[in-house]
Amino acid sequence: MTGDATPLPAFRRMSYFDAARRVFDLSLGEMLWSRRTIFMGLIVGGPVLLALIVKVIESFGMSALRVNGQRMAGFSIFGVIIWALFLRFIVPVLGVFYGTALMADEVEDKTITYLFTRPVPRGAVLVGKYLAYLACTFLVVLPSVMIVYFLLVPLSQVPATFGKLLIDLGLLALGLAVYGGVFSFVGSFFKRPLVIGLIFAFGWEQVVLLIPGSLKQFTIAFYMQGLVPHAMPSEGVTSILQGLFQQNPPAWVCLAWLFAFLGGFLYLATRVVEKKEYILEQ
Amino acid sequence: MSNRKTRYFVAVMGAILAVGLGTGLVASYMGLPVSVFSSAAGPEELQYVPADAAVVAYANVREVMSSQFRQRFKDIEPSQDEKNEFEEKTGLNLEQDVDSIVAAVMPKDGMAQNPAGSFLILARARYQASRLEALAIEHGGQVSEYNGKRLIAVHDDDANDPTPDEMAFGFLEADLVGFGSIETVKAAIDARASNRNIVSNNDMMKLVNEIDNANAWAVGKFDAIASKVGLPTEIASAMPAISWFSAAGHVNGGISGSFKAEAKDEATAKNLRDIMGGFLAMAKMQAANKPGMQQLAESLVISGEGNTVALAFSIPSEVLDVLESLAKGRQPQLQQ
Repeated sequence: MTGDATPLPAFRRMSYFDAARRVFDLSLGEMLWSRRTIFMGLIVGGPVLLALIVKVIESFGMSALRVNGQRMAGFSIFGVIIWALFLRFIVPVLGVFYGTALMADEVEDKTITYLFTRPVPRGAVLVGKYLAYLACTFLVVLPSVMIVYFLLVPLSQVPATFGKLLIDLGLLALGLAVYGGVFSFVGSFFKRPLVIGLIFAFGWEQVVLLIPGSLKQFTIAFYMQGLVPHAMPSEGVTSILQGLFQQNPPAWVCLAWLFAFLGGFLYLATRVVEKKEYILEQ
Repeated sequence: MSNRKTRYFVAVMGAILAVGLGTGLVASYMGLPVSVFSSAAGPEELQYVPADAAVVAYANVREVMSSQFRQRFKDIEPSQDEKNEFEEKTGLNLEQDVDSIVAAVMPKDGMAQNPAGSFLILARARYQASRLEALAIEHGGQVSEYNGKRLIAVHDDDANDPTPDEMAFGFLEADLVGFGSIETVKAAIDARASNRNIVSNNDMMKLVNEIDNANAWAVGKFDAIASKVGLPTEIASAMPAISWFSAAGHVNGGISGSFKAEAKDEATAKNLRDIMGGFLAMAKMQAANKPGMQQLAESLVISGEGNTVALAFSIPSEVLDVLESLAKGRQPQLQQ
C-alpha cells in the first residue's frame, strides 16, 4: 500500500512576548494562592495593623508617638513606617523569597522539565514569572501603603504630602523590581539561593552601610535610601551609625544605578536560564 | 488571567489603589476642608475667627491660673485691692471666672500705626452681662444689634490717633465675649454665621492639628504679618524667610513647650538650624557649673527636617526650684 505520508504538524515556536505572557498568566494565579502569599499578607498586614492602632489611640485624643515630648504628626509616623518596615524589611524580604523561588521552585519540584519541553524560549519563562512576581507584590504592597497613608495622615495634610506618597509608591515599586531582578539571578544561578539571598539582604547590605568608605556602592539599599523623601529615623545604634555614614548621591545617580542593577541582573538571569543545564536530583 | 478568584483579587487591590490615588489627587488639586470625615481641631471659639486671620493664639486660662507654676509668681501680681476693685466694677473674678481666651490678628494696611483695628479677642467666662453693659453705657458706650447679637461700641477719642477705630464688645454666646474694633467683632459674627472661618483654612488648621497637650499656643503666617507691619527695609531684609510658625506650651508644675517654623526653602531652614545650634552650644557652655541653668540648657532640643526648624524645651519644677532659690539668694545682695 502506497500512500502519501502526511507530515506531522510542526510545533509553532511562540514569540518571546507571547511565551512570557502565557507564563505570566499561569504563574500569577499560582503565586497569589500559594502559601508564600499568606506569609506576604502577614508581613504587609503588620504596618496596616500598626497604623490602625495609632488611629484608634489618636481618636481618643491621645498621641501615639512622641519625640522629645512633642507629638509626632501622622505623616512623620508614616515616614518612619516606610523607612523602618517597608524599605528596610518588607521589600528586601519579598525580593528574596519570591525572586529566588522563580526558578528554584521549579527545580525543587522537578517540574522544570515540563516547562523546558514546551516550544517556548527558555528566557521567556523567567521573564513571565518575573512579571507575575511584580504583579503579585505590587498588588499586595502598594494598596497596603495606601491604606497606611490614609489611616495615619489627616485629610487636611493630604495636599501637602500626596506628592511624597507618590514618590514612596514609585520607590517601593522600583525596590521590588530591583530586588526581584537580583534575586531571580541568584535563584537561577546558585544552588541554595534562599540562604545566599538572606545573607545578601540582611547581612551584606546592613553591615556595609555601617562602614565608612565606598563598599556601600555595591548595595541596593544605598541607592534606595538616596531617593527616600523622609528623614531617616534615628532610633537605635544601627540607624544612628547608618545616618552618620550616610552619603546621598544625586537622585539621577541613584535611579541610573537601580535601573542598571535591574536590567543587568534580569539579563544575566535570562542568560543563565537559557544556557544552564538543570540537573534534577533523584 | 485564568482564574476568577485571581481576577477578583486583582480588581479589589486595583480599586484600593485607584480610590487612594483619586482621593489624593482631588484633595491636592481641589482641597478638602478639615471638617470632612473628621472633627475640627482646636477650641470651639475658632468658628468665630475670620478665615483671613494670620495669627491665632489660645490660652486655657483656667489651667494656667490653677497651675503650680503660677502659684510661684503670685507675689508679683497686682495687689488684692486692685483685683477687688476690678471685680466690683465688672463682676468678673479673673482667677475663677475666665476659662479661656482666643486671640486673632487679621493683618491690614497701616497695622503698625493702628494695631487695635486688627485684633480680635474671644474670652470665654462666666459674665454678668447686665452689669458689664451698664458699666459700658456709663462710660459712653452705645448698644446696638448685629445679626441678633448685642454689640456695645465705645468711641476712641484718642487725639493722637488720626484714624481711630470704634472699639466694641459683643456677647457672641452667653459665656463668650468678642472684643476688638467694631469691624472685627462684626466679622467674627459673620464668620460663625456663614461658616467661613479659620476652621476652613486648611493651612492654619494643619498647624493647629499638630498641637498636642498644650494649654497655651499660637500659630500664624509669619510673612503675612511681616508685610503689613511695615518694618524698615534693613530689618525686613535681615529677617529669615519664614512662612509659617507655631508655638505651644504646657504650664503646670514646670513648663514645656516647642517652637516650630517653616522656612521658605530648605537652605534657609538649614541656616536657621545651624544658627540655633550655635546659640545652643554657647548657652550650654555658659551654663556649665550653674546647676539650674545647666538643666535648662540641656532641655533645649533643636530638630527639624526639610523646610522646618523646631526647638523644644522642658523646664521641670525641680529646675524652677533651683532658679527660685538662686533668685532668692541674690535678692538681699541686690537690695544692699
